[in-house]
Amino acid sequence: MNDSTASGDDSSGNHAAPPQKAIAKKKRNLPGMPDPDAEVIALSPKTLMATNRFVCEVCKKGFQRDQNLQLHRRGHNLPWKLRQRSSKDVKKRVYVCPEPSCVHHEPSRALGDLTGIKKHFCRKHGEKKWKCDKCSKKYAVQSDWKAHSKICGTKEYKCDCGTLFNRKDSFITHRAFCDALAEETSKPASVSPPSPPSPASSPPPPLPLPSEHEDSTQTDVVSLALPDNNNHVTEMLESAKPDSTNGRMLEETPAMTNLTGGSSSNGSSSSNVFATLFASSTSSGSFQSQTAGFSNIFRSIACPDPTPAIAPSSSSEPVALGLAVNQGSSIFGTAGQDHMQYPPAAPPPSLSATALLQKAAQMGAAASNTSLLRGLGIASSSSSPSVSHDGPSLAGLGLACDSGSGLKELMLGTPSIFGPKHTTLDLLGLGMAATGGSTSGLSVLMNGGLDVGRDFSGQDIR
Amino acid sequence: MKADVRGKNPSPTISSMQNPSLFTNSRSSISSAVLTGCLDGACIEKLLLHCGSALESNDVTLAQQVMWVLNNVASAIGDPNQRLASYFLRALVSRASRVCPATMSFKAAGVPHRRLMSVTELAGYVDLIPWHRFGFCASNSAILEAVRGFPKIHILDLSITHCMQWPTLIDALGKEPEGPPVELRISVLSWRPPTPPLLNIPIEEVGQRLINFARYRDVPFEFNVIEVGGPLEEEETAASSSFYDFLLSQVNAAMVKVNADEALVVNIQNWLRYLPDEEISSLDSSCDGIMSYRDSFLELVGRLSPCLVTMVDEDCDLGAPSGLASRIVSCFNYMWIPFDALETFLPKDSSQRIEYESDIGHKIENIVGYEGGQRIERLESGGRLCRRMASAGFMSVPFGEETVKEVKVLLDEHASGWGMKKDEEGMLVLTWKGHNAVYAGAWVPHAPASHQNNLLV
Repeated sequence: MNDSTASGDDSSGNHAAPPQKAIAKKKRNLPGMPDPDAEVIALSPKTLMATNRFVCEVCKKGFQRDQNLQLHRRGHNLPWKLRQRSSKDVKKRVYVCPEPSCVHHEPSRALGDLTGIKKHFCRKHGEKKWKCDKCSKKYAVQSDWKAHSKICGTKEYKCDCGTLFNRKDSFITHRAFCDALAEETSKPASVSPPSPPSPASSPPPPLPLPSEHEDSTQTDVVSLALPDNNNHVTEMLESAKPDSTNGRMLEETPAMTNLTGGSSSNGSSSSNVFATLFASSTSSGSFQSQTAGFSNIFRSIACPDPTPAIAPSSSSEPVALGLAVNQGSSIFGTAGQDHMQYPPAAPPPSLSATALLQKAAQMGAAASNTSLLRGLGIASSSSSPSVSHDGPSLAGLGLACDSGSGLKELMLGTPSIFGPKHTTLDLLGLGMAATGGSTSGLSVLMNGGLDVGRDFSGQDIR
Repeated sequence: MKADVRGKNPSPTISSMQNPSLFTNSRSSISSAVLTGCLDGACIEKLLLHCGSALESNDVTLAQQVMWVLNNVASAIGDPNQRLASYFLRALVSRASRVCPATMSFKAAGVPHRRLMSVTELAGYVDLIPWHRFGFCASNSAILEAVRGFPKIHILDLSITHCMQWPTLIDALGKEPEGPPVELRISVLSWRPPTPPLLNIPIEEVGQRLINFARYRDVPFEFNVIEVGGPLEEEETAASSSFYDFLLSQVNAAMVKVNADEALVVNIQNWLRYLPDEEISSLDSSCDGIMSYRDSFLELVGRLSPCLVTMVDEDCDLGAPSGLASRIVSCFNYMWIPFDALETFLPKDSSQRIEYESDIGHKIENIVGYEGGQRIERLESGGRLCRRMASAGFMSVPFGEETVKEVKVLLDEHASGWGMKKDEEGMLVLTWKGHNAVYAGAWVPHAPASHQNNLLV
């Protein structure tokens, strides 16, 4: 407890009388200009917010207010001497805000009463625990919240479409563009339904993959955004929802969307990408059983490659394009899962960087298909897939070297392109040499670091 | 320093960042550093700075190590710092895995996973936080004052929010005691910077709705789309100089036919930052020195003799001269503002919030992940813009009392962290917890003869 006292030493000419005890109405000082003779109290935030600051010395019972404590003390039948309050207590007290950056931290700006400083501290520096039901405005002080609730919703604007607004400008803006207005003025405006973009309606929509809930009832929909077959693919995929045991896995929804974009112009290349992803990624390799529906889709749509295309990896319900692989045993497995919980309607905003690196490394190890990187969306241009006439090429990357090695070297930190050699990538103290062969390097680093991974797994880093 | 607003100072273990070889020490020290200390804004800022420096100096090893740590810190559903960090990490990884960024193009077609909103969704979007509404309110109020008494008003609207600003102006014009103007015209360009928020209908349709609304409010209204060419699909990059030359010439041609009895207002909102600010040598040396497209555009605007130029943009310096590392840090500290505001107002899993943040992530990706012509987000602070406007021959017009009051009323209706200040140039600045977020300013050109004169009056 940092109770400290310092005499208030500043005044700008305000000399309100010290308050008399409980009888006369308290005179209020001008805000921010305390009584120069007042005693300045600086309480720590903890003390300030403590609900029972006033403690009875006899039985240690705590009270929110001093008056209540005094009332209580009477019941203890204390001898006369102890009953009296010390004269010190009569002196007026003013309180400073414990927040150093606050204007009320200065003694010259101290606030007059404890309740006032408490409220101020809460309002300005505290957590807003009270929330209005109607408008979701939040308050730190309960009385503020009550006051607001009384007036909330009283001044309201209602659009013909039924939406309510608290604020005039948002109401007007909405009104201008609302379909209800269009109907009213009977203009045949071509409207789009004011609902969140539904999967089947707009060109290439990224169908969001569901979040990683065990009992997810969300649709496992994967969109290829193949030009002609959006809806068709959607429906087929939905019907192909597999049953699964629930396992923990990384869900690379952004990878999906990037694939969507990246492969929009070329159906066969996209199935190549998917095939490659899954060929090298699934640890068990036993995804065949659940992909019958998907493979059919791909065979029918993207003719050439009868590859077992998209598969959810062998475990859980949400479909993922399996950047998620070393289930539970990847270094970044569980930490990365924090990334993966998206509400169904929102396009997933971020791709787990780890997964990117991991995937890249595995691709390096598998050493085949560099169109993966386009698929991963690392090459952010959508023009690159159509450049893939030459087969696997790093055109999208702008790398002039042959397939996998350029990326591997990049990841290993010894890229020929970057020039000077770098020291061994000893990220995890595994003492691995970073140069050379196709199986060394980051992929092995990652796989070899499984033990490290287990140290981390299960620890929710948030 | 932002650290004291966001949390405690970083723990001593973070000093290990100074010496990357410490990563090779025991795994437990890494894990404890990550798990215990590294979750506040100042720490993340340091990590980003290190990563940026590493990328600048092509130290891929170090960059990767930092990214590894960042990955353990970042979280798309954590607190604002963590959420922001996840977008930064994504942009940095994306950048690091591209070896020759100059060959990439960052154009509208390259961002197919951006969602398209309906027009009513967009109307809600711009009001989620006062980020846009602040500019709308200040600009509209200033415009109203400037055009009062003119029978015909023509507004050249250059913005990224698809005319969301105008319903309130149209409404206010309809309620003017003197009656609405004889004619209100709003012109927009057919080209728009390829950045969110994206709409699922063409701008012509938006205009049609505005026409309906204006009719409903009895305001005579006309909507024009100035064709500036759409060569974007075939072009390698949106930033080729030929595109901007063309843009400027088209705007000039369309606007030069301004009627004498029209009051012209040029409204530039969150748009100027998409014009390149690199200085190029001008073949037409009627102006001394080198001018960027941004400067050229402002000059063009000045020559149109508008009765008002309203400008709103984001108050941060991320333009041409900044190196990667410092840009990353500035961007992080700045983008924290909307993230924190959303955190105060919406729950962690709110889809609106996530979408808004994702759009900011898009900006971050461009700011941090690209260089040269592909980096289209060239933010410029209010202070620098003022100097630029002065060089382009403009005089600043302070906002009136009415405007200030209106903006205050607006901010009172939002969460209590939003504030406003008026700076010495007469601009209004929206602040969040004291940090500058968005500025709004108004200018008029100096007398026509002096538009080539770069001296300040």
